[in-house]
Amino acid sequence: MIAEAGRDERTARAVARIANGRGARVLTRRPARVLGRVVTIAVILLWSLFPIYWALNTSLSTLTGADATPAHYFPSPLVSTSYQAVLGIGSAANGGVSGQLGRSLLNSTVESGVSMIVTVVIAVFAAYAFARLQFRFKRTIFVSVLATLLLPAYATLIPLYRIMASLGLVNTYLAVILVYVSGFLPLAIWILYNYFNSIPRELEEAAFVDGASPMRALLRVVIPVARPGIAAAAIIAFLLGWAQFLFPLVLTSDLSTQPVTVIVAALNGQRVVPFTLLMACGVIAAAIPGVLALVLNRYIVQGITAGSIK
Amino acid sequence: MRAARRGRMLPYILLSPLVVFIGALSFVPTADTAVEAFFRVMPLDPPTRFTGLGNFRALFANSVMLTSWVNTAVYVAIGVVLSVVLGTVMAVALRHRFRLRGVILALVVLPWALPAVVEAVIWSWIYNPTFGVMNSALHSAHVIGGYHVWLGLDRWLTVLLIEIVQVWQITPLSTLIILAALQSISPDLYEAARVDGAGATAAFRRISLPLIRPALAVSAVEALVLSLNIFDQVYVLNGIAPLGSSVLLQTYVTTFEDLNFGGGYALSLLTTVATALLSLAVLALFYRRAEAA
Repeated sequence: MIAEAGRDERTARAVARIANGRGARVLTRRPARVLGRVVTIAVILLWSLFPIYWALNTSLSTLTGADATPAHYFPSPLVSTSYQAVLGIGSAANGGVSGQLGRSLLNSTVESGVSMIVTVVIAVFAAYAFARLQFRFKRTIFVSVLATLLLPAYATLIPLYRIMASLGLVNTYLAVILVYVSGFLPLAIWILYNYFNSIPRELEEAAFVDGASPMRALLRVVIPVARPGIAAAAIIAFLLGWAQFLFPLVLTSDLSTQPVTVIVAALNGQRVVPFTLLMACGVIAAAIPGVLALVLNRYIVQGITAGSIK
Repeated sequence: MRAARRGRMLPYILLSPLVVFIGALSFVPTADTAVEAFFRVMPLDPPTRFTGLGNFRALFANSVMLTSWVNTAVYVAIGVVLSVVLGTVMAVALRHRFRLRGVILALVVLPWALPAVVEAVIWSWIYNPTFGVMNSALHSAHVIGGYHVWLGLDRWLTVLLIEIVQVWQITPLSTLIILAALQSISPDLYEAARVDGAGATAAFRRISLPLIRPALAVSAVEALVLSLNIFDQVYVLNGIAPLGSSVLLQTYVTTFEDLNFGGGYALSLLTTVATALLSLAVLALFYRRAEAA
């Protein structure tokens, strides 16, 4: 009894000592560590956001404000004339720039939007077959499709241009969309394949017991459950489409199909459009992918990390 | 019986659009590049005929081409090292849960999501010799005595500054891949290391680093392929001048400005093979080290 009581007391003291020791160390270490972490995060944010802030700052400045030396870190005065100019609003409207920007935004939306839809539809069916069905040459087809992930733009640029030229498709939405879809499919399949594999098979087996065909199980059971994975593939395909430059530079030749990336580069290359207007165009061209990336960040993170750790 | 046959055909039905797309628009073009690289292809000066290694000989005799190869090697070296190191630093800083972490992570990913061309135009304004904020900030901080022309004068400075623009865009990829690897490490390992008296640095070197090696390899390969393919940033910040030119820029110029398709094909083939070999080499390097550790 006495011995036991003694042990309890010792244990209690040891626990108290550990607790105190820990408490004391946390107290002494905390301010420095917290400060260090806050500074690190602040530097990371400054690096990540400063160029974007700088574009916003210039786009909201007057030409004199933007060209001030030393630079003004806040717009003074803050004006919206650059946006009115590039969007063609009121007396500040710059007809040349606003006409090109408006049409090219429409082109970008059609090209990346349609490619996203086609890519996701094809990828959902193919990834389901790879993840769940047994058939001949499965491994060969799967590995060959994924191998194209490492295929650089070089490998296909010239032949794709010549194929589209021989079909008379240069400078059409169709050419751009076909090329985008073939480029985005492997990544979309990889994301969806990993997602389907994370879904328990019991869900479909319950449907099979009820007499459903594999196709019906896919449409009624798997697709609803796989919505986050499908969203990840879709948003990444859209962002990749919106950012394309080299392929549309080669495949499009006038404003009827040129996406906003090609127009922004062309306006920059003319060396006559003032930087205030260029930055306003840049901010508008980046706004759609930027807002999507912030709002749907969860899916982007999931898509990018899908299967990267094995 | 019809149902059974349909069941057996189902995988092929589901896969047929994929096979048509990848076959017609990835495999056929790649094979075409591999064949046409050995032909003289000039759309404005037919006929097309076999030249053996003629296109390749012409490439190696061209000094601009050699410049762009060396530049691309430097783009790749800077790109891989900087984006993997910065990605690791960011991932370590963001690995623990804290308030606003979700928001900060979303902001950190932002540069990856925006078009590279738009980013390059923004950076060209930052680098601007007369009104650029880089000159202004460095001058105010007394780092430089007067304003500099950053791009287009010194070759290596131009290459470095252009690659920084790409690193800014691709680092979030490394950050996310490495962060996911860090978060999959069991906290018990760190707890055990702490009990054994290991400090934060030792814990990082002995536990984190070996376990995130595969993630480092994946992000290194991603950075390798992206920087070997650098085009948008070079096109905007360097133009088609030889000084900062990259191989993909030369492929574009050779093919679509000089209209020498055969030369473009040969260049494409060389770079495709280089990309494949280098990717495999990086993976082998990281995995062998991981096994040895």
